[in-house]
Amino acid sequence: MLGIEECLTEVMAIPGALDAIVIDQTSGMAVAAGGGSLNGDVEKSAAGISETLRAALDGLAMMSPTGAVRVSDMIISTDSGYHLLRSLETVFDGPLAIYVRLDLERSNLALARHRLQALSDRLITT
Amino acid sequence: MPTVESILTGLAGDRATGALRLGKAGVLYLTGGRVTYAETPSCPRVEDLLTASGRVSAYAVRQARQAAGEERWGGDRLVDRGVLTRGELEFCVLGAVMDAVFFLLQVTGSRSRFRPGERHWLGPQWYFDATGLVRECNRRRVQLDQAWPSTDLDTLPVVPVARIPAQRIVLTSLQWEVLVGADCTATPADLARKLGRPAYSVLLAVRQLAAAGLLCKPEAAAGDAAQARAAPALRSASSEKSPAPPRRGDPPDKAPVPDRRGESPEKSPVLPRRGDVSDPEKSPVLPRRGDVSEGSPVLPRRGGGRETRDREPGASPASPFPAGLPAATADPGDVNLLIRLRNALEALA
Repeated sequence: MLGIEECLTEVMAIPGALDAIVIDQTSGMAVAAGGGSLNGDVEKSAAGISETLRAALDGLAMMSPTGAVRVSDMIISTDSGYHLLRSLETVFDGPLAIYVRLDLERSNLALARHRLQALSDRLITT
Repeated sequence: MPTVESILTGLAGDRATGALRLGKAGVLYLTGGRVTYAETPSCPRVEDLLTASGRVSAYAVRQARQAAGEERWGGDRLVDRGVLTRGELEFCVLGAVMDAVFFLLQVTGSRSRFRPGERHWLGPQWYFDATGLVRECNRRRVQLDQAWPSTDLDTLPVVPVARIPAQRIVLTSLQWEVLVGADCTATPADLARKLGRPAYSVLLAVRQLAAAGLLCKPEAAAGDAAQARAAPALRSASSEKSPAPPRRGDPPDKAPVPDRRGESPEKSPVLPRRGDVSDPEKSPVLPRRGDVSEGSPVLPRRGGGRETRDREPGASPASPFPAGLPAATADPGDVNLLIRLRNALEALA
């Protein structure tokens, strides 16, 4: 049983985490953000992330033989780090997404993915 | 008269705690200058969102509400009972408040009154900065316009087309919910309440669906008229599907005429066909409709939108006007006269 802020704190405690945002997927609104380098531009980042997720969903749906797709998480590696994005369905509201950017050198992607999964199960129970 | 935004900014500056009532439009609750809850009749409230999914019973909500007090707020009680996590409650409140504020910030001319100390039973679950709220609402408005820059469908019943103008489409889960929930009478706001989804999300889904050409559009614009001629199959399908076409056709019949008159002349040959369909024996339908229309100019667009569907049965073989009727450029008055003439001749024969 986690609140959004506690969840964010725990996400930031993942080894190598640089910044994290909880995003409302429908509107692309940043619900909460943590980490230093995003400051001031959280809204833009949130909008960009939800757009990325939307594009991935659209593309995958097109690719899938059934036309249906369910993304549980997404990993994008860039020269500025690993971008780990977890999509969460909620019962009461629209879908959420938790985003965390990880340091290329200091992070363990498998561990981070596992931690994020466990955290999201405590944040939202479905 | 001060805007809601300016009142809110003032209260935020005073670090006020209490309820800002905007007449019948809704209420904003502030705690220490920050907005902690808001509701408006046009959006689902937190309790609606919670109970619509079936996860939380109305009884549990009622109990939490009755037991709520300064020492333990209703929201905390719900979390304590284990019916939902803190995160789910926070996110639910967040959605409901953003939703209500989005509509409340557009309210004008409503008498506002601030009652210091008044609290909402849920208690503060999430704190919103007044400036952040305003910024986010503006962003959402832009987002809506990007999806589809027209407010035409925002307050009209959502009517999906029966056949889509594509071979395959991709829908989001919310768009699916909207389409499944659409019963041709529910407006986006009704759907939001029915689905237990934020009104803004539903509105956005409706605009996206409209942009994809999946909804019957009102036909006020000339561009739409062209599109309507191009896709008659859609109409016939939807009118077949509709459970009670005559009933549904009736109210719009009254409204569309002013609209139509304003439209391009080639639309007018449609009129007789339609009149015949709704009432094959009595063609004076047209003048009657014209009369009525003057009395009810309120919903011309809606009528315009529906009208397209009614019209289609006119293409059926039963109609004395064949489906492939060449476009005439007569003025509606002439057509009208011809119809009366024809009726008179038929009566004689």
